[in-house]
Amino acid sequence: MVGHCFEMKIRNLRVFAVPAAILVFVTAVIPLIILATSVIDKADIFSIWTKSPVRRALFFSLWQALLSTAFTIFLGLIATWYLSRYQFFGRRTFFALVTVPFVLPTVAVGAAFIAVLPRALHHSTFAIVLAHIFFNISIVVRTVGPRWNSVDDQLIDSARMLGATPFQTWRYVIMPLGKNAIFSATALTFFMCFTSYGIITILGGPGLATLDIEIYRRAVQLGDLSGATVLAIAQMLLIAIAFLLWSRSRSTELISFRAQAVSHRRLSLAPKCFFLTLTAFFTVPVLALVAASLRTRDSWSLTGWRVFLGIQNQRGFDFNFWQAIQTSGKYALIASCIAVPTGIAATYALSNRISSHSRLSAFAILPLAISPVVIGLAILITYDVQPFDFRSSWLLIPVVHAAIALPFVMRSALPIVDGIPNDLRSVASTLGAGPWRRFLTVELPLLKPAISTGLAFSLAMSLGEFGATSFLTRRESRTIPIIIASLFGKAGDIPRTTGMAASLVLIVTTAMIVITIDRKSHT
Amino acid sequence: MSLIIDNISFSYGERTILGELSLEVPTGTTTAVVAPSGSGKSTLLRIIAGLLTPSSGSIILDGKNLSLVPTHLRSIGMVFQDNQLFPHLNVYDNVMFGLRMAKTEKTIAANRCRDLLDLVGLSQAAKQSVATLSGGESKRVALARALAPSPKLLLLDEPLTGLDSELHDRLAHDLQRILHATSTTALLVTHSIPEAEIISDSIHRLQITIDIVPDGEKK
Repeated sequence: MVGHCFEMKIRNLRVFAVPAAILVFVTAVIPLIILATSVIDKADIFSIWTKSPVRRALFFSLWQALLSTAFTIFLGLIATWYLSRYQFFGRRTFFALVTVPFVLPTVAVGAAFIAVLPRALHHSTFAIVLAHIFFNISIVVRTVGPRWNSVDDQLIDSARMLGATPFQTWRYVIMPLGKNAIFSATALTFFMCFTSYGIITILGGPGLATLDIEIYRRAVQLGDLSGATVLAIAQMLLIAIAFLLWSRSRSTELISFRAQAVSHRRLSLAPKCFFLTLTAFFTVPVLALVAASLRTRDSWSLTGWRVFLGIQNQRGFDFNFWQAIQTSGKYALIASCIAVPTGIAATYALSNRISSHSRLSAFAILPLAISPVVIGLAILITYDVQPFDFRSSWLLIPVVHAAIALPFVMRSALPIVDGIPNDLRSVASTLGAGPWRRFLTVELPLLKPAISTGLAFSLAMSLGEFGATSFLTRRESRTIPIIIASLFGKAGDIPRTTGMAASLVLIVTTAMIVITIDRKSHT
Repeated sequence: MSLIIDNISFSYGERTILGELSLEVPTGTTTAVVAPSGSGKSTLLRIIAGLLTPSSGSIILDGKNLSLVPTHLRSIGMVFQDNQLFPHLNVYDNVMFGLRMAKTEKTIAANRCRDLLDLVGLSQAAKQSVATLSGGESKRVALARALAPSPKLLLLDEPLTGLDSELHDRLAHDLQRILHATSTTALLVTHSIPEAEIISDSIHRLQITIDIVPDGEKK
């Protein structure tokens, strides 16, 4: 009888995963199936690879991603080691400084690197790799940090006492203990760099196009939907394989660690210099944006800001910034209102007390494994014809944003949901709380950090989303990232300074949202 | 391979944790330092191992002052209170670790490893993951691992704490037998006099931050 009741509860909870499943089906599964089956001209499957822009894009995607990943992992591991093992002045601030960039708008960060680098490097692999490091170090710190933080100091002492040199201790103990997390971070970083789109739109140029850029160019500029689709599907398969390896490495994590307090060892001179350099790396591009928004070729001027704020009209600019701000804000709010409840409900239904994490990765992470550009293309093709003519609906973009934010919401909520002890629910029940009372009085308050983090993530993701939006945007409903990208496509001082001003506002707003909401939830 | 601890003191900020401590461990014997918790026993071991630098005094092993020798070159083994087995390695590879660091020739290392696992009675468990071991088995692996590179000195930090009483007594006798069989020079710190009596050849009592009072030779 008792067993029967428990079964019922499990079945009831699974219902919570339905909204997320619908969201993923509507925005990813169905469009991708339709994309794969409808527009491909069979001849393109092979012939597309003989075209030189495609080859160049594939080659460039690969090698810039390898280079970016190598540098990101190398620098990220050093930062992670000291952040997770040492107590030093400014540690918390530095942690925020390293982890926030991941959710910053890609086009705006691209603009920041234009602002800080000399003109000769504006459109270069160097700039692209720097921007990728800026974004993705956070992945390393967030994935590997908890693992290394939980390694007992005495375990490292044991290795030293068995005759291991500091280097051997790294090689044979510290690295193997972080192996799965490092592999995971490497795969995710590589994926992020390989499918880089916003950054490349701003910092790329002739010969510096990724596969995503080529997909956009084929679909939108050349009207070659079939070719674009072949590329999109090939890329998806490639990522799916990488992703499979990644999620397998995550699920085989057997060793469990206790979290350790960071030790009070002082940093020596070399790591201090490293952190100073890294601090400069994370702050100078944003500071440079301030200067760049005020600087025309030969003088200081407020024109960029005046145009941005709508005080001054500029010929050839066919957009209204206040309207764009409203659009971006509206989309972000709607996307969050969809992504947060859907994501948390789904996490709740799929958390480990009921079923395995593998289901979580299968469903909610699917959009993460597919680049937003491919999603954008698939939706463009699917919902443009009867009976699904949703293209004209303004809700389409925020719904897609919600789907893109969903895996991030779920990933950040999962440890918190899992952390709610089952006994606490039982206690509430024995004290006479029914399922709803129990949820409202016990579980909801405990879920608060998950809700805030999810909210921060989804607001930031939607505000900065560029890949999918660039396919779906319409003249009257352009978001700020879209406008920034179009400004950097124009020649002249005024578009540039205006673009810098808009980028600065977008970066500061996003960072503030993430820092305040996320910080609040942890205090 | 005798160990001489010469006037070691250690303070952390204002607090003196060890004050002018001297002690000698003769070659091939086991000496126990018995002291209550919080008396700086573990600090003493960490200083000997080179994991902490003493405020004053010196550690002399085999006539050589160790002050400037880094931990990994001291050839001192240690069994930690909670074993600290490497979770990513199996039993065999844990025991092999020190031999690999020393780049010991493969067949010699493998033989040494097998002998030690025999000695601690775990030859059957060689390929097992350390996560599957019981408390007593983990302790034996930790001991075998520490002995494998043939350290000049073995440090035992409360090695039998946390084991149930029957297992505790059995392991204490095993430990005595193994240390004797390998003629290891060892320093044991513990809070238990009966434990020290079983394992060691001589016992010293350490009073909080005061010098050691010799308690005489055990019969």
